[in-house]
Amino acid sequence: MTLIRRLRSIPSWQSTLGLALLGLGFLVAAQLASEGPRVRYTSQERTPLIETATELQSQQDTLKVGILDLRKKIQEAEQSGQGSAALVKDLNALLQEARIAAGLIPLTGTGIVLQVEDSLEPVAPDSNEADYLVGARDIRTLVEELWAAGAQAVAVNGERITPTTSVIDIGSSILVNSAYLLPAYQITALGADDLYARLSASPGFVDFIRARAEAYGIRVAFAEPDSVDIPAFAGTVTLRYARPETTPGPAASPAS
Amino acid sequence: MRHRRNQLTIGAVAFVLGLLVVVQLRTQASGAAFAGLSSQDLTVLVANLNARNDQLRREVADLDRDLAVLTGNTQRGEASLDELRADLRRVRLYAGADPATGPGVLIVARGPIDGSAVEDLINELRNAGAEAIGIDGTRIVPGVVVGGGPGSVTVDDAPVGDPFEIVAIGAPDKLTGSLTRSGGIIAQLAATQPDAVVEVTPADAVSIPATQRNLVPTAGSPRL
Repeated sequence: MTLIRRLRSIPSWQSTLGLALLGLGFLVAAQLASEGPRVRYTSQERTPLIETATELQSQQDTLKVGILDLRKKIQEAEQSGQGSAALVKDLNALLQEARIAAGLIPLTGTGIVLQVEDSLEPVAPDSNEADYLVGARDIRTLVEELWAAGAQAVAVNGERITPTTSVIDIGSSILVNSAYLLPAYQITALGADDLYARLSASPGFVDFIRARAEAYGIRVAFAEPDSVDIPAFAGTVTLRYARPETTPGPAASPAS
Repeated sequence: MRHRRNQLTIGAVAFVLGLLVVVQLRTQASGAAFAGLSSQDLTVLVANLNARNDQLRREVADLDRDLAVLTGNTQRGEASLDELRADLRRVRLYAGADPATGPGVLIVARGPIDGSAVEDLINELRNAGAEAIGIDGTRIVPGVVVGGGPGSVTVDDAPVGDPFEIVAIGAPDKLTGSLTRSGGIIAQLAATQPDAVVEVTPADAVSIPATQRNLVPTAGSPRL
């Protein structure tokens, strides 16, 4: 009884302050704890490598923004160009189509999002820990299954899949195009309304679920939002070795 | 007066609390980014990031130059038709809409190879900088599916021959080296499928046709 009375006698601001201080203490401790292991690496070669990688990653983000910005300006300059109006218009229409085909234009439309995450299950005694993590091959398999189900454009965590995209493992992480991706991996695919129905009916997708989700607990979820956004490819399209074959393709650029 | 002091105290505590939450979240986010990587992995990652950032820098330089030419033309009141055509050729070549030629590698594969091994080969070629890839006359672009079991590889559901050819355009030594290095993709394949044979030959010039696919999505439209 006395305790309750005493508690009641404490003004509410004091309890609020008390709670806030408790939270503060917790956070200070969490902060110190989370810095603990990294302090231990200071004398090792890891810290400079982590700093370099972080710095390079941020440089890359800046470069990509720069590329997208320059492409936009070039497009504007091309569209406002002088010369025979009809010819300029035709060329710009062809350019827009080519840019869409190359993945240089962000798209929006119907589609699905698949999310894949590492397993939370304990690693079985005589099995490989890597099997419980999402790897580059998982991403490649799912992208491939999406193409087979009729996807028309695909991106993984904001990296557009283009004719030159590779998806590789670096240790326990995944590199797509030039970007280093972290879980959860979200694979966004643009496609017709029946995309998910076709994907889930595909034997390859069913095999994947059996081999990865059921066997190792890799978490696969999907969403079918009203519309999905596929970003533009912010990488290099300037080829250094390939050049056009002298005989033009079926629908090559118009003759001058 | 006392009431106001209380409010100030709570305000100050809330501020510090908020600050710490943000710092904590940021610490965890940046720490998590490289948490799972050993020093060796980090070295590979740094090398990769360096190489790819250099590529992006070259692209920025190219685009800067293109923009300068276009702007110059406009200022002089001149047409930019040549630039538009060059840009169109470049983008169509990249997309796979026009046939491509250039130095690269010729890969001949025979025996019990399956679709997923071919997918791995393609992925490895791209990682080594392949700019265009074709299998038995089909240009490999996004959407093309390589599948099939051992000895019955299909490209977009059409069976390939035995043997079949994969051609790629890029730096011949780099492409060859990345496929044939010890522990590389061909060595792995030899270990799992001893009867499969994959021969890689550098070539001064290979040709890859344009894709027959419609590359313009119908389910979406450009996002502004």
